[in-house]
Amino acid sequence: MEVLKEKVEEEEEAEREEAAERGEKVMRPVEMRREEPPMTQEMLRDLEKKLSEIEIVIPEQPSIITRDTFDISKLPLSYQSNTLKEEHLLQVADNFARQYSHLCPDRVPLFLHPLNECEVPKFVSTTIRPTLMPYPELYNWDSCAQFVSDFLSMVPLPDPLQPPSHLYSSTTVLKHQKGNCFDFSTLLCSLLIGAGYDAYCINGYGSRDLCQMDLTRDVCPLTMKHKEVVQEEEKVPPKKYAIKPPRDLSSRFEQEQEMKKQQEIKAEEEKRRKEEEQRLLEVEKAKIDPLHGLRVHAWVLVLSGKREVPESFFIDPFTGRSYSTQHDHFLGIESLWNHKNYWVNMQDCWNGCKDLVFDLGDPVRWEYLLLGTDKAHLSMAEDEEDGMNDDEDVENLGKEDEDKSFDMPSSWVEKIEVSPEVFETRCPNGKKVIQYKRAKLEKWAPYLNSNGLVCRLTTYEDLECTKTLEIKEWYQNREDMLELKHINKSTGLNIDYFKPGHPQALRVHSYKSMQPEMDRVMEFYETARVDGLIKREETPKTMTEYYQGRTDFLSYRHVDFGERVKKLALNSAESNPRPMVKITERFSRNPEKPADEDVAERVFLILEERIRLRYHCWDDRITASKREFLRRTEVDSKGNKIIMTPDMCISFEVEPMEHTKKLLYQYEAMMKLKNEEKLSRHQAWESELEVLEILKLREEEEEVHTLTISIYDAKRNEKSKEYREAMERVMHEEHLRQVEAQLDYLAPFLAQLPPGEKLTRWQAMRVKDECLSDFKQRLIDKANLIQARFEKETQELQKKQQWYQENQVTLTAEVEDWYLSYCSQAMFRIRILEQRLHRHKELAPLKYLALEEKLHKDPRLVEFLKVFV
Amino acid sequence: MQRLYDSVEPRVMDEHMLKLAVEEQGPQEEAGPLARQEGILFKDVLSLRLDFQNILHIDSLWQFENLRKLQLDNNIIEKIEGLEHLVHLVWLDLSFNNIEAIEGLDTLVNLEDLSLFNNRISKIDSLDALVKLQVLSLGNNQIGNMMNIIYLRRFKALRTLSLSGNPIAESEDYKMFICAYLPDLGYLDFRRIDDHMKDLARSKHQYSIDGLKQQEYLTQARLDDERARQEELKKHKVAFVEHLNGSFLFDSMYAEDVEGNKLAYLPGVGELLQAYKDKFVIICLNIFEYGLKEQEKRKLELDTFNECIQEAIQENQEQGKRRIAKFEEKHLLSLNAIREQSNLTNIEIKIVEYGEDITELFNVLMTLEMHLVEQLEETINMFERNITDLVALFIENVQSLMAQCRDLENHHHEKLLEISINTLERIVKGELNEDLPDDVRALFVDKDTIVNAVGASHDIHLLKIDNREDELVTRTNSWCTHLVDTIHKDEIMRNRRRVKEINQYIDHMQNELDNLECSDVID
Repeated sequence: MEVLKEKVEEEEEAEREEAAERGEKVMRPVEMRREEPPMTQEMLRDLEKKLSEIEIVIPEQPSIITRDTFDISKLPLSYQSNTLKEEHLLQVADNFARQYSHLCPDRVPLFLHPLNECEVPKFVSTTIRPTLMPYPELYNWDSCAQFVSDFLSMVPLPDPLQPPSHLYSSTTVLKHQKGNCFDFSTLLCSLLIGAGYDAYCINGYGSRDLCQMDLTRDVCPLTMKHKEVVQEEEKVPPKKYAIKPPRDLSSRFEQEQEMKKQQEIKAEEEKRRKEEEQRLLEVEKAKIDPLHGLRVHAWVLVLSGKREVPESFFIDPFTGRSYSTQHDHFLGIESLWNHKNYWVNMQDCWNGCKDLVFDLGDPVRWEYLLLGTDKAHLSMAEDEEDGMNDDEDVENLGKEDEDKSFDMPSSWVEKIEVSPEVFETRCPNGKKVIQYKRAKLEKWAPYLNSNGLVCRLTTYEDLECTKTLEIKEWYQNREDMLELKHINKSTGLNIDYFKPGHPQALRVHSYKSMQPEMDRVMEFYETARVDGLIKREETPKTMTEYYQGRTDFLSYRHVDFGERVKKLALNSAESNPRPMVKITERFSRNPEKPADEDVAERVFLILEERIRLRYHCWDDRITASKREFLRRTEVDSKGNKIIMTPDMCISFEVEPMEHTKKLLYQYEAMMKLKNEEKLSRHQAWESELEVLEILKLREEEEEVHTLTISIYDAKRNEKSKEYREAMERVMHEEHLRQVEAQLDYLAPFLAQLPPGEKLTRWQAMRVKDECLSDFKQRLIDKANLIQARFEKETQELQKKQQWYQENQVTLTAEVEDWYLSYCSQAMFRIRILEQRLHRHKELAPLKYLALEEKLHKDPRLVEFLKVFV
Repeated sequence: MQRLYDSVEPRVMDEHMLKLAVEEQGPQEEAGPLARQEGILFKDVLSLRLDFQNILHIDSLWQFENLRKLQLDNNIIEKIEGLEHLVHLVWLDLSFNNIEAIEGLDTLVNLEDLSLFNNRISKIDSLDALVKLQVLSLGNNQIGNMMNIIYLRRFKALRTLSLSGNPIAESEDYKMFICAYLPDLGYLDFRRIDDHMKDLARSKHQYSIDGLKQQEYLTQARLDDERARQEELKKHKVAFVEHLNGSFLFDSMYAEDVEGNKLAYLPGVGELLQAYKDKFVIICLNIFEYGLKEQEKRKLELDTFNECIQEAIQENQEQGKRRIAKFEEKHLLSLNAIREQSNLTNIEIKIVEYGEDITELFNVLMTLEMHLVEQLEETINMFERNITDLVALFIENVQSLMAQCRDLENHHHEKLLEISINTLERIVKGELNEDLPDDVRALFVDKDTIVNAVGASHDIHLLKIDNREDELVTRTNSWCTHLVDTIHKDEIMRNRRRVKEINQYIDHMQNELDNLECSDVID
């Protein structure tokens, strides 16, 4: 034991020296350390010299939150001092650090107890405050991480190569909404542990992109296309009586040759594509980072096991994204901790984090600070490795002996709280911009923008983000139910997506211009429409509509338009619809009709006056009946109108029928079709009108862009606010009235009497009389007062009038105006006073009676007075 | 209102009268001359009005087979007749006639509206077939018995009824009674029945209605039971094992067997018979269950076959349809092209091209059809083999089971013979104590008689068993042959139809082309 202690002391001395040395050598490459050949003293000195020449310009960045921005004296006591237990823990930690530096002299000192905002050293584990937030959105890790990354704005570490000297509490960080990676990780870890995850803060080394939250080399997750899951069709086993395919008579040799040829072509294409990709990658590749592997970063590890997490993964708190533990961005781990314990990584990080094993119960790989946490040693592993690790165990012995009964003190941090308003605002000031590779993502809090914009994603063609490719804008709470606006800059195509509830049941609207009669597609929520319209496509010359679920089984209508006829008439105010050239309508099968009476397609060739019908096919047929009507009105030799001739109807019938041969039948059918043609034309015309109407409506909506407010949103809902305020006012008035009702009329009179004595009847009578007479006096006084004012006003007016009449001739227009206005005002005042006097005269006796009544009912007087009532 | 036919001259419903009526009521305006020019067939007429014609006998209406609406009001008809062929009739008006009884309406199952207003009817009946009846007008008749209303309960769709002007309508309770017994009625005597009225009526006649309902329910239940039994039997018949799920065959063996029944009185035969019956029934049940199982198998086989055939045909049809659709597209284009061409040689070239297209389409369609025929033939033959095998196996197994029955019978026969001879010996010796009925005792006169009697009984039994077996085997075999025949025939029919269809289509196309040529030549 003594030998050990000595050794430890020696090591400590060495450590101290080294620490002093390290003060100068800030840049000590972590990776190089391992391959370093043994250095001689001279070489070292040389290196020192060289290194001292290199000056690192550390930007004069004040610590994240300057001292004057907050008053530490207001912070709770636990922030400003350490409890005994915490002191003890710090001692333990110091001891651990000493032993650690003794054992691993070539590793950087541990990040154990940075100072907090009150300059008090606090152990990192106690800074984690497991909290379950009251928002259901924060129950899962992904939304939780997203919240942290949105909520805080990132501040780089003061020294990118060292852990910070201060680690503030999460409450302070939340209050200021900014922090470095350690603050981010601590907050996220607190939330995740609170939500039941097995989460840890990691102090380690990350790539430059990670440490600087530089996403410009990452593809934006929103632009990534979802890989369509190709569901393999279940192979139905061939049925017993399945027919055999017809014999294949083509040459197999030729097929093979063809296949070979195609494969060659394909391979070539593949090769070319790969080369192209390679080229692109080269371009995109980042410059080599001179500090690669030295940048300190903190992130969060979520271990599998709890909350059904199948596999361990990292979360980068800056971006809120998850990474596998093998990801390239993570270059090494020094230590990790949660609210219960602290582990030091004893594994080699030459290959980043790819080979690390996150079995915290394994004492060879992870050196723990406190014994007896919930991470039980793996019994198997322990048995096997017991023999090998004897020496280590011995070294740990002393520490373990003292610490055996010691557990982590509870967190010194106050409960983490986020108010609903702030939670909704999310980002600092409600706005956040993230730059991705070829994309820019902007986020806003709901209701921040007056048009309801909450998110905008701009994708660019080039890496420098100068040429916009497309813009996607997400909206929320819009009254017109607009959800997403997709603007494709290269094609000029705009696509608006709507949620259910648009007044015209619009679902998707894609267009190039808002002018009518241009290329556009409108899709609808067909169940919300009476006519069952699903989609309407327009080009300058055509309009196609798709229907579903109609009682007349119409499923498709296509209208071809001709050139607009120039109207010579002057009635330009009237609309001038384009002439329709052709209307094609398709119907789905009506099961109640036989197939050769159920029209499948109906074409009205309006200019040619031709109507073409195609009927449905019988189930066991391959041909369908057809009929073509020629709508000609001719006059025969006698001048009679020919109504119907056999050549006006050409028909092909699959099953020839007798009654359809008749002219009468054909005539009736044609008459019906004529009417239907009119109807179809009318409907097409109405559709055109509707398009115009929708366009107009859309324009109006775009201009107004009112936002809806949920009736449950008490904060924003003006109506409910008004209502609430009105209620409050009513309550207030009610309260005032009550106060008045409690006003004691008798108090001044009773006060004259000796206190504490019971009233005699005589006294009571006197009190009452006095009160009444006093009130009477007041009423009279008031009347007199009004009277006096009235008289005064009248006199003044008379005086003025007199003056006016005297000087009438000499007066200027201005003065005359002034006089006239004065007169009217005076008259008004006089009239008011007169009215008041009248009113007073009317009300005074009533008031008097009311007081008398009240006095009669007064509990103090009632027993003396009731005899006289 | 009653018209006596001696005061007016009755007219005969003849061809001429009908023709006049049809023409008069046919298409009007522009279509009128067209219709007259072509003539209207009676079977195309949907509605006919023959009022105020002094018709006495309904006649000559058999040609109007598609008639929906017929008005024969204000005539002097005495008997409903001659309407049997008008099965599509929905609306029939026979008001203001001299009809005395409802009859002759049994085929008019689609009738919804029947008016017999102002006739001489005294009893409502013979309307059972009119299940869709909604409106019934029987006002101004001589219906005097309230119980006629109960007859109307069977018309579930009846909503409107008029009975005013009948003797029953004078009764005080008339309205209440009808509302109570016909709760679904909406209008009575052209007046709406309100809910209040219905409630009142229901509470008033609750007791009798409940009784009636109970009765109706029981009848219904009995009918359902019967139907279920019939269904079950039908299912068994399809499996060819009807009546084998019990002692039916055994009982039938003894039904015509006089001697056997007599012999049952012998001592010890009773027990023997019981044991025999039990065993026999068990074998019967075996056959029955096996038959049902086999039936399932056959059905599955047939279903699979049908499904596969249908799939193949469907796919082939789809191919054909695609071909035709493609052709039609081209067809429209080329027709337009030909019409627009002005150069005569060009036109000719186009027409030749077009003709070639048609021929190609014909070839393609026919090839498709030939492929299908070949494929189907192969499959059908395979199915035929399989189903024949299945049936043969079934028959074989049933026969072996039947043989067990026969063995049982033989065994029983031997035992019976033994007992009989023993008994005879004992009778001869006079040892028999038990009383035997006289006719039984008469058998035991000598050995030959008794042996003959037992033998006769045995023969009858064997015959029954053989008959049952034969019936099963014949029916199964005939089913099988019939099935295969039908399949072959259906396939041939299908093939012919398709070929005809293709030819028809191609002819039509060719015709169109020819017409085009003609018109071009004329132009």
